[in-house]
Amino acid sequence: MIACSNCSHENLEGSIFCAECGAKLPILDAAATPSAEQAADVEVVARHEPTASSAGSKPWANLHLLEAGHILPLSSRPEFTLGRISEGQPIVPDVDLSPYQAFASGVSRLHAIVRHEGDRIAIIDLGSANGTFVNGTRLPPNSEQYLGDGDIIALGKLRIQLLLHTP
Amino acid sequence: MPPAQRDHYSVLGLLRDASPEEVRQAHLEIARRLHPDKNVAAGDTELFLDAQRAYEVLSNPERRAQYDATLPPEHETHPALRHQITLSRPHLYEIAEPQVIHALLQIAPRHRAQSLSASPINVCLLLDRSTSMKGEKLDTAKAAAIQLIRTLRPEDIFSLVAFSDKPEVIIPAGDRGDRRQLENRIHMLQPSGSTEILRGLEAAMAEVRRSLSAEMVHHVILLTDGHTYGDEEGCLELAGEAARQGIGMTALGIGLDWNDGFLDALASRTGGTSDYIFDPADIRRLLIDKFTMLTRVYVDDILLEQDERQGIQVREAFRLQPEGGPIAMHKPLHLGPILQDVDLRVIFEFVVEPSALASGPIPLLDGVLRIAATNRTDRVPPLRLQLALDVQPMQKPVQPPDQLLRALSAWTLYRIQERAGGAADSGDFEGAARSLEYVASRLRSGGQSTLASTSLLEAQELTQERRWKGSGRKDLKYGTRALLLAEGQDELR
Repeated sequence: MIACSNCSHENLEGSIFCAECGAKLPILDAAATPSAEQAADVEVVARHEPTASSAGSKPWANLHLLEAGHILPLSSRPEFTLGRISEGQPIVPDVDLSPYQAFASGVSRLHAIVRHEGDRIAIIDLGSANGTFVNGTRLPPNSEQYLGDGDIIALGKLRIQLLLHTP
Repeated sequence: MPPAQRDHYSVLGLLRDASPEEVRQAHLEIARRLHPDKNVAAGDTELFLDAQRAYEVLSNPERRAQYDATLPPEHETHPALRHQITLSRPHLYEIAEPQVIHALLQIAPRHRAQSLSASPINVCLLLDRSTSMKGEKLDTAKAAAIQLIRTLRPEDIFSLVAFSDKPEVIIPAGDRGDRRQLENRIHMLQPSGSTEILRGLEAAMAEVRRSLSAEMVHHVILLTDGHTYGDEEGCLELAGEAARQGIGMTALGIGLDWNDGFLDALASRTGGTSDYIFDPADIRRLLIDKFTMLTRVYVDDILLEQDERQGIQVREAFRLQPEGGPIAMHKPLHLGPILQDVDLRVIFEFVVEPSALASGPIPLLDGVLRIAATNRTDRVPPLRLQLALDVQPMQKPVQPPDQLLRALSAWTLYRIQERAGGAADSGDFEGAARSLEYVASRLRSGGQSTLASTSLLEAQELTQERRWKGSGRKDLKYGTRALLLAEGQDELR
């Protein structure tokens, strides 16, 4: 059970909003310590609420979803797969772009990898159906392309700007 | 735990028609993620080995063809529909108490570009002519009916049944005689009698049934301003029958003195919905909109047939679009229509009991989506809907995807408001008022100040006078419903 901090109503585990008063329930649970990998996932999903992305690890890059205006900080791990969750398929990308119209924009389930080595940040297209573009130029699949601050990445038609400094 | 029975495609997360390159990439990704040198989580090594085995078979065209031949036929690559499921979290919790999990199901035509030409429609307008309709309500409805006749295409079928305590067929289905004569018959409609929906519904269904061709969109539009007494059960049964025959229903309530819960129940049995017309001047617009929508139908009604599974229950479901409304919890579930340019989006709340948890993936959804009208199923096969989740120890929960989060927020408000209505009906005015106060504060923080004030006023009225004030109850119900629709908006277009 999750007790609502606003009205004390006991909600079933997994509830997002309190059924009694509609307040957002705390997304917190002390019962288990997440493993490193899980922690990284949570951090990405918690995005655009930088305060919520715990543990103070500074993002090495930020993905700015241009249409939605959201910013996803990337931290903890050296690389992230970008894609969309599809139809209950067991493969889940590190960064699920389905909230950003990924399906309609032609983003593949596993579309690309963004990684960093030292100061250099690179993107690799994973043989996606609709291609990965950097500043309008389509990348050949499976080869690294280095990125600079402000570069516009397009996964299919989904446009993302790479920001190296938190705005 | 990796389930032994999963086929190689699902192990790699691929559809059966994955290209060799997709196979390679999927394997690469799993290998990278689950390599034994790098991961220690329980079960990861087994998953890794499964992926190796899958890759060995699927990367070899000969072995892949042999393997494919051993698989049961694939339902996932459906010729007409595609679907997508977004979950509020990726796993079930391994806990000893019930848990909820939410899912947003989106169903769309597979090939939007080659959308069908508009289907002909077979529609009966079932018009309440009871004395309470006298004046602007009936006059506007009559004018709207005449306008509808003028917009019909040659292939469409229209009928008009007026009802009070007895029905009268004003325009029989398929009567395309002299238009002026038809319009005159509508003009001459006079109000009289009381509201008995069942008799009218029977007559309307009879008109629509005259031509139940598979090519057409069959629909009854009920326009009423009053309560029906004593025949509700009969109406609901009839709606169930209509649903089985592929006849949809829309219920439009005018003014304040009609039973929204009943009209919702009626329409939702067929995958349809109720709507609220506060100002009679809006009757025409709503009817025309409804007609236009019916001509854009791609699929009249999608059914969800689910295998019952002990301990897993769909507690509630709501269609976000097109035409938002609650889903009747009668099996099979009628999810509603898909339009050529508007996907179907339904949000589900599942309750999973601890008894349903086991090792291996738990099938949250295991059923088929079927196109409603029986005479169409031979051409469009059902779409298999399967969603199995792993059970994992409870961790720091994951923020659901934004779209789902916003829809859930609005749905929660709508449900609290509905609960307030139920509490007031059963005499618990304090409880109703408390719920409405909560709704008001949520609405206010969401920037919906007009609705928030309505909610607060009604809370006061319920506390002090033990009754609703004016149109507040329906304003709130359909107002919060409209917020849900806004969240369900098809962002793809």
